[in-house]
Amino acid sequence: MNTRSIRFRLVMWYAGLLTGIFLLLCALLYLNLRHFLENDLRESQARRARQIAQTLLAHVQQTGESYVASQTKDWYEPEINGRFIRITRADGETIYLSGAPKDGSFDPRQVPALTPSAQPEFSRKLKLSNGKTLLIAALNFKSSGNPAYLVEFGELLDPVETMLDHLFLQLALGLPIVVLIAAGGGYLLVRRALQPVEQITYKAERITQHNLSERLPEAHTGDELERLSHSLNHMIARLDDAFQNSKRFVADASHELRTPLTILRGELENLNEDSRLTPEVRSQLGSVLEEIERLSRIVEQLFALSRLDAGEAQTEWAQFDLAELAKTTTEQMSLLAEDKGIALTCQAGQKVPVEGDRARLKQVVVNLLDNAIKYTPEKGAIQLRVRGVNGHAILEVADNGIGIPPDALPHVFERFYRVDQARAGDSESAGLGLSIVKSICTAHGAEVEVQSTVGKGSRFRIKLPLLKN
Amino acid sequence: MRILLVEDEKKVADIIARGLKAERYAVDVSHDGQSGWEMADAYNYDLVVLDLMLPGLNGTEVLQKIRRKNQEVPILILTARDGMADKIKNFEGGADDYLTKPFAFAELLLRVKALLRRGPVNRSSVLRVADLEVDRLSQQVKRAGKKVELTAKEYSLLEYLATHPGRVFSRTMIIEHVWDQSFEGLTNIVDVYVRHLRAKVDDPYPTKLLRTVRGVGYSLSDEVEG
Repeated sequence: MNTRSIRFRLVMWYAGLLTGIFLLLCALLYLNLRHFLENDLRESQARRARQIAQTLLAHVQQTGESYVASQTKDWYEPEINGRFIRITRADGETIYLSGAPKDGSFDPRQVPALTPSAQPEFSRKLKLSNGKTLLIAALNFKSSGNPAYLVEFGELLDPVETMLDHLFLQLALGLPIVVLIAAGGGYLLVRRALQPVEQITYKAERITQHNLSERLPEAHTGDELERLSHSLNHMIARLDDAFQNSKRFVADASHELRTPLTILRGELENLNEDSRLTPEVRSQLGSVLEEIERLSRIVEQLFALSRLDAGEAQTEWAQFDLAELAKTTTEQMSLLAEDKGIALTCQAGQKVPVEGDRARLKQVVVNLLDNAIKYTPEKGAIQLRVRGVNGHAILEVADNGIGIPPDALPHVFERFYRVDQARAGDSESAGLGLSIVKSICTAHGAEVEVQSTVGKGSRFRIKLPLLKN
Repeated sequence: MRILLVEDEKKVADIIARGLKAERYAVDVSHDGQSGWEMADAYNYDLVVLDLMLPGLNGTEVLQKIRRKNQEVPILILTARDGMADKIKNFEGGADDYLTKPFAFAELLLRVKALLRRGPVNRSSVLRVADLEVDRLSQQVKRAGKKVELTAKEYSLLEYLATHPGRVFSRTMIIEHVWDQSFEGLTNIVDVYVRHLRAKVDDPYPTKLLRTVRGVGYSLSDEVEG
């Protein structure tokens, strides 16, 4: 999963935010409940302490302290109910202390003694040695004519804590599950929302300079994505326009140049026929004619390129054997290689049936071989290899010539590109040969690639769909 | 022989007309499609050289009109458009030959001559230039009575040059006839073959027959260069 994708980041943010809010909510719930429960407990204990004070201690003079103690024990049964009750006189004498509860949860004698004070009511929490907490509400009671008494009424916080622990456990378990479910749902929602983006991306990646007339899908949802695809389509339309214009320009320019070139050539050829010309003038005329021929060739190649751009290669589609084509072309070119002392070999054993414009694919082979011969020094070697591999016809031209520098490699198929002006050696080439190769290959749905090491040589490889049978 | 030239570019028309007149043809020039068609309709021409891009009536329409009236007259199409589809369309429309601008005048002349003779040029089985003999049947070449061994391509090249002794062939013409269109732009292959051919045909003999005309091409001729 791509951690930089919008989908992932959105879900992460969403889940993070959700976790934060839930944590806050749970903490609030937990603390509030705890506060409420403790308060409630404290309140009821205080009430009971008050009860003891008002109903029993108020009449201690008539009933006596032992009656108070026995009544308290009878009413509240602290041993059975697990309560702590202590009544202390102002002089520090304990007139009643509840016994140990039946469940043995705490020992009342452990609770440190307190003496009555001026503070009317207060409470305290006492941590016992066995880890339990005792919540004790205390009440100072003083009625006229009686000594002051301190009534303490306590109870273990155990049930509250058990309940809170239980709640905590449930929240701790529930939170991740809730967040997971929410994140999962969020993921699905985001994916659904971003689905059009995937489609737009998929389509946009497939639009190249050859199918600029195609457009991205536009979902008419009225949302931001519709606007985005709409804007992108507008941009593609403008690109298409620009491309068409430049193509039309090349086609028109190469077309318009022909007539003046014809005139130039005709006039100069007529002039050249004149027998009164001196050899110098004739040589100069020859030089001009050579340049005109070169210009014509460039115009011709540009026109060929613009025709390929316009998709005209399909006019002569036929099935043929690429291996046979490679062999005959090698033979026809062999003298050029021989002339430079280059060993030109062709490895094409089995039939390699392909479909396409034979003349144009032959031009591919011719241009690649010509290129290899041009950039391979004398006594070098060039190998042409044709074979069928995994449904593809592979044609390779490898030489051990001067090679192409890495920074020039991506540009060799560009129009008018030359690795190095000085290296071209002859003024014949205009740097269009390889771009014609590329255009023809593209028109055939073929891939063309090049590998090269400076000083070691280059290898051009063409991959065409292989015809079955 | 009377030739009608329909070409709206006055300078191009002028060059072609001059060149054809120098070859002793009578040439009528028309600069637009309508008058071209009217002239073709009025006179019985031996050949029509027709440009495709014409004002008024375009070349294809003129071609169709002429063909409806006259099935016989050979028509050579000149065009700056050389898409394969166009070519096929015009051949179907009745064109006899097709020449793409910019062309060498020599090539136009060769085609004009071929069309006027209506049949292969110089069909005799042995072509002779000075003491060079090219036997088209046995594909054998002799110089001063001695057999010269040539490869198939060298032979084709020599035979092509020998069909019109003294005529200059451009490299493009040679490539199109001896190789094929795929080799267009690869003119050095012609130079290499001519050099090899020279080594076999010319070098051992005092009279050199293979001439280089700089900027134009090659010719086979026994004329001494002036």
